Amino acid sequence: MKITIRPAKPEDCKDIERMIMELAVYEKMPDQVKISHKELERDGFGPNPFYQCLVAEVPEEHMSKDGQTKVGYALFFYTYSTWKGRTVYMEDLYVMPEYRGKGIGKALMATVAKVAKEKHCVRLQLSVLDWNKPSLDFYLAKGAEDLTAKEGWHFLRFHGIALDNLAQEAP
Amino acid sequence: MANFILRKAEPRDVSDILRLIKELAKFEEMEDQVILTEKDLLEDGFGDHPFYHCIVAEVPKQHQSADGHVIVGFAMYYFTYDPWIGKLLYLEDFYVMKEYRGSGIGSEILKKLSETAVRTRCSSMHFIVVEWNKTAIDFYKRRGASDLSLEEGWRLFKIDKQNLLKMTSEERTG
Repeated sequence: MKITIRPAKPEDCKDIERMIMELAVYEKMPDQVKISHKELERDGFGPNPFYQCLVAEVPEEHMSKDGQTKVGYALFFYTYSTWKGRTVYMEDLYVMPEYRGKGIGKALMATVAKVAKEKHCVRLQLSVLDWNKPSLDFYLAKGAEDLTAKEGWHFLRFHGIALDNLAQEAP
Repeated sequence: MANFILRKAEPRDVSDILRLIKELAKFEEMEDQVILTEKDLLEDGFGDHPFYHCIVAEVPKQHQSADGHVIVGFAMYYFTYDPWIGKLLYLEDFYVMKEYRGSGIGSEILKKLSETAVRTRCSSMHFIVVEWNKTAIDFYKRRGASDLSLEEGWRLFKIDKQNLLKMTSEERTG
């Protein structure tokens, strides 16, 4: 099967929205998805994009059971480490279940790695849920190191009301 | 205690920023991991495509530190994206020199950052903290932060350059 990995275009956003939801369902947090293809179009394709996205596409003769030809995506952006410099953060990597085992995930990730290399990034970071064994195995096989286990890093956030409260105290 | 101002970092501040980065790394017991140089900071923060934004805390000359510094704190941040909620403000580093703690500099920096987040339509401010850093965790939790690693099970991973290069040779598919 011929699979194409290419940069996403604004017209792909409806499919990306669909796959974001599929991934959120798998991660058991579908109610946390608050944005739609409209925000994705606005935020990813202006003069100052907030993310980059790659799409995996199959030819029409290999479309999915429900008629989809865009079967995977990788969403990433540039970050900065005060120790090492430019970094890529891979926020989402997803392949529809019926297309797994064909090297699509591997190809998406390799393309992200290629982009990282071209932009002189020294590291790629990502996060995985602790119960997600298939993904943990996939990344560990590629040389990923669990910094939460190894060095004790935890993710924190100020969200919603907590953020508003903090901002309201600003002089 | 000392007066201070918070302002946007300028190219002339990179030497102080690097000094403070190394001080924070030393506290995190990872000083030898800082390979960034002043030249990198200049190019990456003040060039055509800034990879980060930075606020510095400055005291008047009469309140300079024991070793003569007036830049006594900083916060480095950038914008990231969550496919579920959109734009986020990511706080990469946040540090105030020991001799200037307890005078509200840290609180003011955090307030200014959250104000920036709200103003730029960010739904959330994210950051990481090392689990043994109880002082920092308490500081953030007192102000309403939640620990996503504990609450939802997220673990942070890295893939270094060597392994990234290995992956680029696997790019072809068919």
